[in-house]
Amino acid sequence: MKKNHITAIAFLLLAAILATLAAVEFIGKREKDKLFPAEGLTRVGKLSDYLHNLKGSNGDTDIYFFDSGVPGGTVLLLGGTHPNEPSGYLSAVLLLENIKVTTGRMIVIPQACHSGYTCTDPMEGLPADFTLDTRSGKRKFSFGSRVGNPLDQWPDPEVYLHYPSGQKLSGFETRNLNRSYPGRADGTFSERVGYAIVELIKREKVDLAFDLHEAAPEIPIIKAIIVHEKAKELGAMAVLNLEFENLKYALEISPKTFRGLSHREWGDSTSVLPVLMETSNPIQGRLRGRTNEEMIIYGVDKNYKTALESGKLRIEYDPDGEPLKIRVARHIEGFRAVVAAYNEMNPEKELLFENIPGFTEISESGLKNYLY
Amino acid sequence: MLYWTYILILVLLTTVVGIELFREKEWKKQMAYVMILIPFILRILQIK
Repeated sequence: MKKNHITAIAFLLLAAILATLAAVEFIGKREKDKLFPAEGLTRVGKLSDYLHNLKGSNGDTDIYFFDSGVPGGTVLLLGGTHPNEPSGYLSAVLLLENIKVTTGRMIVIPQACHSGYTCTDPMEGLPADFTLDTRSGKRKFSFGSRVGNPLDQWPDPEVYLHYPSGQKLSGFETRNLNRSYPGRADGTFSERVGYAIVELIKREKVDLAFDLHEAAPEIPIIKAIIVHEKAKELGAMAVLNLEFENLKYALEISPKTFRGLSHREWGDSTSVLPVLMETSNPIQGRLRGRTNEEMIIYGVDKNYKTALESGKLRIEYDPDGEPLKIRVARHIEGFRAVVAAYNEMNPEKELLFENIPGFTEISESGLKNYLY
Repeated sequence: MLYWTYILILVLLTTVVGIELFREKEWKKQMAYVMILIPFILRILQIK
């Protein structure tokens, strides 16, 4: 055998070992987080119940139904539209594991973009998961990509054309669930997931719907509640009530020309009142330094702090960070305030819940007591 | 359809790189070839 053939085989063997190690990690990301729904759970459905061609795919996420049996409204809450925004996911999990619905119906989708939980964004050095102390001990939660896994939708086009508006966005956004509404039944993977969620809203006659997010500190919509124009009174009432609790949320009205987002398309395509909420987290930020689990949990970044101290940072940034428990507490309190405002405006379609901790309870005692 | 076209292109590229790996005389260049092969193989096997 020639010498260069021997080295080729040796390198191939080495590559096989490295590829196997990487493959174990990549395949491990497909393992689902185990969730522990509260006692009032009525049933667990699948997104494919609303669009059959998603069955068995990575888009076929779990849907949790809590029906009080007492007539009232129906509320839908989505976490994990962007799997790299953990406060939205954790807020959905916290509600799922604690809520008791006494009037009306609640539907929770903790991992709306389930595909995005099976990978992370390339070239970002992001952690694959994070561990929290919970009542049952240490528990791992997935951290994923902003968009769906390229294994489910590939290749990306140079320019993404939103359906049906024709709006042009960067090719990467073609896998972004929150640019894919209202979607279409025979479209791309993300368009089909978006279509199924809109179908769920229509078929389940959802009255009020939440989409929970996080954003980089430099994004102007952090700490905002964004509503479709038909929900502006609802949003204003909720923001005012939150002000009385000394919690500041900015009210933003969904721009009519920015298409594909939940707060725009859910409202345009269905009778639902859509609400999107954002918290601030440097793990999405471009200035951030070392990116790890601690950044997810404590929301602190040295680079942002340095920029702030230099006087060059022209945004609001807390040098002590915004920990996950505070970000989740803000989402939960925002949810409570919007639902309370909805009940005031729609007494014939009330939504009443018990066992949801408030901002003070979560921020003071942490997430541990509210996660199984 | 486009997805499988890309997979087919990847299979062809992987084959070509594999052939070149065995033709190559310099070990440093051979190392570069196998580094290219790792993501290609993971994508063909639908792992990454």
